[in-house]
Amino acid sequence: MKDIARQKMSISVETMDLLNQQITLEAHASASYLAMASWCDQNAFTNSASFFYKQSEEEREHMMKIFQFINDCGGNAISPSVSNINHEFSSLEDIFESALDQEIMVTKSIHNIVKECKNNNDYNGENFLQWFVVEQLEEEKTLRDILDLFELMGRDGIALKLIDERIKTE
Amino acid sequence: MVLLSKSKYYSLYQSDQEKCYFIDFGNKTVKASFCQLLALRQKVNAINITNHFYSSENKHGIEILTLCNKEHLFVLNTSETLDLQALIKDSFISLGLSTASKKTVPL
Repeated sequence: MKDIARQKMSISVETMDLLNQQITLEAHASASYLAMASWCDQNAFTNSASFFYKQSEEEREHMMKIFQFINDCGGNAISPSVSNINHEFSSLEDIFESALDQEIMVTKSIHNIVKECKNNNDYNGENFLQWFVVEQLEEEKTLRDILDLFELMGRDGIALKLIDERIKTE
Repeated sequence: MVLLSKSKYYSLYQSDQEKCYFIDFGNKTVKASFCQLLALRQKVNAINITNHFYSSENKHGIEILTLCNKEHLFVLNTSETLDLQALIKDSFISLGLSTASKKTVPL
């Protein structure tokens, strides 16, 4: 019997399912960052707004990386539907804390897929996800550094404006 | 043709010559490419079977399934849906693309 299936597809269906879930997670993260950017824009935190617009684009790029990988492997990438985006935040610090929580959730999910790839001897999937492991470390560090600014500079009045000015937009 | 998997109601065959699959639904046999088989798996796995039992959303327990880019349409009851899910799961194990170790017990 010919191995037609293996000729057509080079990852396991379990890895494909997990990567499709990750696509949804990245799409949700992208949409959440857009909501955060909107809040910052409305509240005159212009650098923070630019930061979140950029983050939103990055999350979409991550999503597309996974999307293309699934299809390149002969799998079936599913276009995600996104709902339940929070648009209400109590403060600038609340936004950055929510962003960090979101990144931690994405990191955990990536680590879980890497673990599954290892268990299933899926070397293609494991190798592909290494880039995401490194990227998530960077993402978490950036947000932790910003949250440290609140500890250093305070949480009201001019301190918030000074923090916003220190947010890197490039 | 080689039999890949068989459940209570359905069977899946592979044709090396045509490089495709045949799903025997009992009253109808459907020819499917690998991509179409993968799409069927996605659809079958997306079915929320608990809605058949605990929800008013699907109180009649009926699933309408389109196959091969809407070339075929099937109406399945709860038992048939569960059977098709089992067939698909076992088929991908037979194809060597699933690492799920346990074979599903046919209904």
